[in-house]
Amino acid sequence: MEGLKRELYAAIVEGDADRALAVARRLIDSGVGAHGLVVEVLVPAMRRVGELFERGEYFIADVIACAEAFKRVFEDVVKPRLERGEKRRVAVAVFGTVKGDIHDLGKNLAKVLFEVEGFEVIDLGVDVTPEQIVEAVEKYNARVVGVSALMTTTMIEQRRVVEELRKRGLRDKVIVIAGGAPVTEEWVREIGADVCGDDAFKALRRVKELLGVF
Amino acid sequence: MPRPVLSLLTLEEAKIVHSKSLEVLSTIGVRFEDPEVAKIVIEAGGVERGGRVLIPEELVNEALRATPRRIELYSRDGERINTLGESALIFNPGSAAIKILDYGSKSPRPPNMSDLKKLVVIVENLSHIQAQSTALVPDDVPIEIRDAVRLYPILKYSKKPIVTGAFTVENLPVMLNMLRAVREDAWKRPFAIFDVCPSPPLSWSTVTSRNLVDLARTGVPAEIISMPGLGTTAPVTVAGALVQHHAEVLSGVVLAQLVSKGAPVIYGGSPLLAQPRYGTPLIVAPEALLISLGYRDMARLLDLPVHTYMGLSDAKLVDYQAGAESAYSSIIAVLGGFDVISGPGMLEFESVFSLEKLILDNEVCGLVKRVGRGFGLSPDELALDVIREAVLEKSGNYLLHSHTRRMIRREVHLLRIWDTAPRSRWPSRDIYEEAHLEVERILAEGTVNQLELELQEKLDSIYQELYERVNAKPVFI
Repeated sequence: MEGLKRELYAAIVEGDADRALAVARRLIDSGVGAHGLVVEVLVPAMRRVGELFERGEYFIADVIACAEAFKRVFEDVVKPRLERGEKRRVAVAVFGTVKGDIHDLGKNLAKVLFEVEGFEVIDLGVDVTPEQIVEAVEKYNARVVGVSALMTTTMIEQRRVVEELRKRGLRDKVIVIAGGAPVTEEWVREIGADVCGDDAFKALRRVKELLGVF
Repeated sequence: MPRPVLSLLTLEEAKIVHSKSLEVLSTIGVRFEDPEVAKIVIEAGGVERGGRVLIPEELVNEALRATPRRIELYSRDGERINTLGESALIFNPGSAAIKILDYGSKSPRPPNMSDLKKLVVIVENLSHIQAQSTALVPDDVPIEIRDAVRLYPILKYSKKPIVTGAFTVENLPVMLNMLRAVREDAWKRPFAIFDVCPSPPLSWSTVTSRNLVDLARTGVPAEIISMPGLGTTAPVTVAGALVQHHAEVLSGVVLAQLVSKGAPVIYGGSPLLAQPRYGTPLIVAPEALLISLGYRDMARLLDLPVHTYMGLSDAKLVDYQAGAESAYSSIIAVLGGFDVISGPGMLEFESVFSLEKLILDNEVCGLVKRVGRGFGLSPDELALDVIREAVLEKSGNYLLHSHTRRMIRREVHLLRIWDTAPRSRWPSRDIYEEAHLEVERILAEGTVNQLELELQEKLDSIYQELYERVNAKPVFI
């Protein structure tokens, strides 16, 4: 059993989705509970991936492959077996790439990482208007909003999202992450967002702190 | 006359890349966000499939046949500056920085219209920066008109040609009006080039595709700037990114020629490496430069004018990295023989501008252009008689030979700001301080080519209308 757990851990860390899926199924067949699988193997494996990224050994492409392996095990093996109510739901997060920008790499990475940590992520995709984001916040009663922009010319749309939230009286109900490579702490302050999402791992940590979940 | 020329692809290799790009266009196709733009290509023979438009080879060939091979570029006042398509080497500051780095500061700040005027005046006085560009996005102007207002100080205070672009569909016609207010035949003798960028992979946003349509319709040169990001928005391999880049530019050429046969276009690019850990867009990464040299050869294959982003740096300060990246990319741009080279003054992934860096980059531009000019092989330059006379009659001292005085100014390029003095003449200032003094000197004493009053009034009225549209007070500078 411990050997299989180590193998699953390794498969996730190496980003080998097929192997991870096969080993996870064998673990479930041997009687390991779905929740145990998440807590003992999947989350530690993704944490390891995060560490490797922080240390500069892993690239974004590696992290995405690992997240994909994680996601497939989570969706195909864990989720169907989680008993009702057992699934932890931290909060609902609405994610989207701003209007005029069709780059979604960073947003997709953040989405998986947030899902891993138990957030329900409503993914609005790319080229999303401030109105669409605000509507989703109302509809899903979201606590977190993540707006991503890869280009300096589209970053300005992040400010519009904050303004739209304010206009509808929702600004104080949500934590706003301004995400994307060109985003800086200064920009976040300037537009009145809460969390600088130039790095998805860092953003996740900060959001959890703000929500008081660890 | 020997001139150093750098090329990367053989003719055969360029043809292979071209054929792969044609395959991409005819089998994968391009997505046009704006259905009206898609319709232009579909009605001409493009095939709609799954929300994309497949572009058959015949359509590309027809477009290439119609595309002008050379573009004459003029000054604001109608004087001919250069021919694009013949390695014109027109350096200009890059496009659209959202921050400016003040002298001595480590934190860039949002620029304003007055910064833009300073930039214009400095460029006007730099001999190796041949064109102006709308390189700063002013923060003290309503966001809806930030693209168009950038033309105002250039047209008012400079006669150099302009590299620019719009961020919106509706402001492009306003910008074109501003150009025509300054010179009636602004289309016939163009003095502005507009950048339009497809969104990789193989996609055109509404704004940029509509801009391209409007430019083609008017006959104003459009610079089609594909910007593949290795490993994110394009294959991580240089060759794969080049194939995609070329396909994107071809799709723009097709669109422009379908709108108006003979529409002037420039083959452009801003390839980048998405840094594998941070995703930051590294414009002067070696892989990005290799793509640029690669597409430069694709443009050569098609005999089209060509543009690049070089002479810039991804560093945050005007430091060693900034100098090294700007210099090594500038020499590549010159040896590659690009027509339009955008970048001097730019830092941090083309988002921050430094006036001091612009001064230093101007030095680099002069230096690399000198290398690019090569040397002549005339008898006077081979100087056999001079060698004989100097060695046999002047004790080997060429300082005493009249040939030296006669030829030195033509042959030798002198640096102005860089430190080449002996220590005894050194003022104990570093190069960054020198650059700042030069900024101040130009702003105090530099030449300003102010627009004549009558034209200025016409320009002012368009400028004023722009602000009225957004209920704001014009910032006159």
